[in-house]
This record gives sequence, C-alpha cells and structure tokens, in this order.
Amino acid sequence: MSWPLFARTLAWQRTRWIIVSLALFGWGILIPVFYSAFSDVIRDLANSGAFPEELLSFGSGSLFSLPGAVTLGTQHPLAIAMLAVFAVGATSTAIAGERQRGTLEVLLARPLSRTSVYVSITLGLLLVIGVVLAALIAGFVTGAALQGVLDELPVEHLPMVFLNGFLLWGGIATFGLAASVTFDRAGPAIGLTLAYLILNYFFEILGSLWQEAEWTQEYSLFHHFNSTEILAGSVEPVDLLICGLAFVIPIIYALVVFPRRDLAAPA
Amino acid sequence: MEPTTTRSVISTRGLTKHYGTIPALSDLTLDVRQGEVFGFLGPNGAGKSTMIRTLLGFLHPTAGSATVLGMDMVGDSVEIRRLTGYLPGGIALYDSMTGAQVLDYLARLQGRTAYRRDELVERLQMPQADLRRRVRDYSRGMRQKIGVIQALQHDPELAILDEPTEGLDPLMQQAFYGILADLRAEGRTIFFSSHILSEVERVCDRVAIIRHGNLMAVHEVRELLARRRRKVSIQWRGAAPDATTIPGLADVVVDGDRLFATLHGDVSEFVRAVASPSLRDLTIEPASLEEAFLEYYAEDAVAPAGPSTAAEDEELA
Repeated sequence: MSWPLFARTLAWQRTRWIIVSLALFGWGILIPVFYSAFSDVIRDLANSGAFPEELLSFGSGSLFSLPGAVTLGTQHPLAIAMLAVFAVGATSTAIAGERQRGTLEVLLARPLSRTSVYVSITLGLLLVIGVVLAALIAGFVTGAALQGVLDELPVEHLPMVFLNGFLLWGGIATFGLAASVTFDRAGPAIGLTLAYLILNYFFEILGSLWQEAEWTQEYSLFHHFNSTEILAGSVEPVDLLICGLAFVIPIIYALVVFPRRDLAAPA
Repeated sequence: MEPTTTRSVISTRGLTKHYGTIPALSDLTLDVRQGEVFGFLGPNGAGKSTMIRTLLGFLHPTAGSATVLGMDMVGDSVEIRRLTGYLPGGIALYDSMTGAQVLDYLARLQGRTAYRRDELVERLQMPQADLRRRVRDYSRGMRQKIGVIQALQHDPELAILDEPTEGLDPLMQQAFYGILADLRAEGRTIFFSSHILSEVERVCDRVAIIRHGNLMAVHEVRELLARRRRKVSIQWRGAAPDATTIPGLADVVVDGDRLFATLHGDVSEFVRAVASPSLRDLTIEPASLEEAFLEYYAEDAVAPAGPSTAAEDEELA
C-alpha cells in the first residue's frame, strides 16, 4: 500500500467526487418528494387496472412505498449514470489510462510493487464509491425527514442497504479495475466495463417489464440489491454472497494478472 | 575524479527476452562497473529499451538472469528501484500537475529525500515560476528537464537514462553533461542509452553496441576511437609517391598530386612516413564513433558478441 498514491487517487477524483456526491445527495432528497407527491396517484392507477402493475414499477422499485421508492432511486438511470462516473469511468481508466498516457512508467519506476499500485488505487476508488453511495442514502434520509415520512423509512436497516449497494457498485468497480490492468489503452477497458454494467442493467429492467423474461433478472447484479426487501428486514444472504463474489473475483484476477504482465514501451 | 571499480552494478548473464516468438534480446551478457558512465548504443528497435525495462522489472525475462546493485533483478525489483533513478525515453508526466507538484509527488513515492533537486533545478535553469506552471503548458525541453530532475533528485546510486538529451537545447545538453560528470566523480553509475553517437563519445567511459537484440561489442570508448580508421588526404608537390610504402593506408585513391585513403593503426608511424619536403598538405579527419558504429551495422552477417566478448572487454579495462 502506497499512501502517496492512495492520496493522489483521491485528489485525482476530487472535483468529480464533490459534484457527484452533491448530485446524488440531491437526487436522494427528491425521491421521498416524488413518493409523497405521486404515490397516491400511482396506487390509484394500479387499482383502476388501466395499467399493469409492472409498468408502474421500475426494476425492483416503485412508488407504492417509501422503501420501494428508495429502490427506485438506486435503480433509476440517473443514479446509475452518476455512480458509473466512478464505478466505470474512473476505474477502467485508472491503470489503462496511465499506461496509455505513459505515466504508469514513471510510477512503476518508483519502489512500488504492482500489487501495491493496484491495492492503493483500488482502495482509493472504493472509498470514493463508498462516499457517493453514502451521499445518496443520506439524501433519502434527509428527503424523508423534510417530507415528514421518516417513520416510513426503517433507518436501522440502512447500513445493510449501504453494504449491499457497496458490494454491487464495488463489484462493478473491481471489474473496471480488472479490465484496466488487462489493457494497454483505456478505450477497450471502458468499453468492456460499460458493456458489463449495461448487460446487468438490461437483464434487470427487461425482467421487471416483461414477465416472460423474468428469469433474466437472476443473472443481473442489480437484482441482488433490493432495498425494498432489506428495508423490510429480510436480507437474502445469497444476494450478499453473489454481490460479494462479483466484488472479490475481479480483485483476485487483477492481483494475479497485473504483476505478471509485460509492460512494453508505450507506442 | 574517483576511478571506476571492478564491482559490477549491473550484471546480466544470458539475458533473453522474447515477445511471443519474436526475439527482442538474445543471450545478453554484460557488466557495468561501479562509477562508470556506460553507453548503450543502438538504433531504434535494437533492444535498448527492452533491456532497460527488463532490468527495472517492467518486462519479465524469457531466460537468463541479472543483478542490479548486487540484487536479483526479479526478486529484489522494488529495492533496486528505490536506489535507482530512471528517465524513460520520451517521458510522460501528469499534465494537470505543476512541475513542482510532479517532483514532490514522485519524491514522496520514491520514499527518499530529494537532496539534489535545488542543485538540478539551478543547473538546468528551471526557474521557480516555471515550476509553478502546469506541465500541460510545458515545452518538450521543459518536460525533459523535469524528467532529468525526477530521475536524479533523490541522488540515486544508479541512474538509468533512456535518450536523456532528447528535446534539450545545446546549452542544456552541456549543463546535463556537466551533471553527469559530477555524478561520475562522486562514484555514481550511469547507464545511458542513446543513438546520438557524439554525446556517447563525449560522456561515456565504455560503450556497448546492440543490434537486433544481440550484443555486438563492448569497448572502452577511447580504445574504440584509437582503433578507428581515419580518413586522410595528402597533397604533394609533384607526383604522389608509392602508397604501399606508407604504413596503415587502405582504400587508396590517387588523383594527380593528391592521395585519399583510410588510415589504420598508429598515427605517429604514418606521419613519420609521409613527412618530407615534398609534402604540401595533410588532412587527418578525427576518428569518429559514428564510423565505428556504422561498421557494426554495415555487415549483416556479423556474429554477435557472446560472453567471451565481455571477458575480452575486461582485459581492455
């Protein structure tokens, strides 16, 4: 572990970190506002039978309850895009980008093992992801308090929501870092990580909208982060296990592959 | 000036690196002694950077072994890099940082105090105002100066410099040569890769010539220059005498009262032989390392220098 490199990783993301944290906090505040404003309308629509319930939900989330709205808030494309700034953008360019620019050479000329480089960058980026995720959850709590519906949000289960969310987004981040140590250029690493994210998201949304394809949700990491169930006090250990494996396997891959790679002179 | 010692700072034995089936380094056996400036010569693609990157642990050798500062190249790579300064060819820096921030950051990563920074900044004429500017606004020469400073600021025992004067103007090249001379005088070892023969000739004690990943020769620079053929031009009053009577001449071309030839061996014997009242003009071009270098690259079928050449080189020393 190299503290200067860890600190540099945090500093490198500083501006984006602040902007995305504030944006997610704001988004988190808006979710209870939407819930308060539209939950009755949505419920009436569902009861009228004019719309199938699946179309009034999104992924595993809905506006029928505050925990459902929280899930909606975490699975909405806006939240996905903001979290992907780090889980896809920052991770996949972290090492491949340095390699492409030629600065990895200057870095590795220092007395740092490649394992230490990887661990320092990974811990830095995971910390950033943890903070922006915490900002989102803090936004939910703040919004619920402002709307006077805090009693509908079982805050004692929020640490578990954070843990499950961190394992999900951390898993996408470690996948991005694994891609980053594999390629010499940032483009392929970004492309592969983005494809991984989109595929997971597509499976989750497809299964939620189309009953025939419900089975695809099982293959989506997003399906294994269900805030509604966690906030209801029912944590599925298998969800944590699957997200945990998705988190750990790319780390093991990177720790094996990166130190063994030949780093020829940049073109 | 401290003399060089026979202790090897870099020692490779049969070092080989293949990219797939393509050989980049073949069975390279070489010793670089403590306190010397060692030139590593070869055109682009000859294997210079591959050798450096293998020594620093960026590449894994296909076969062979090496020690750097007495430590195993593979097992002690981190410790080797702690004691080494490296300037990559065409160095890339962090564009969003200022020059001073880059130097501070790299010094922190090095884990050693940047004892030499102030001196280097002064000698390479890098004003504080420039150090406060972002690297993205730097010219090529300024980036190279930062590259030199970051490689040497922690006073490394061994400096590995890949094309170090690339982008430096002639004035800064002189300043850089002065820095190298001082480092050498302090007993530091410098491994210097270049294809600029004049600078290798000027600053290096010994030179290795590499071609297609094969070590062609290792020589003392002065020995190499002494062996070189010089171009001579002689003009007589009247007809030129029989060239076969003049020792060391080859490739003789006579044009009236002028004789053009190449000269091998001892200059004094040659001068004694041509000295006569009928001699009107004599020109002996200085021996150039370039001639020596081109000689190694002119022939396609030259056998590479194996360990025996390295041993032979020890005799030269």
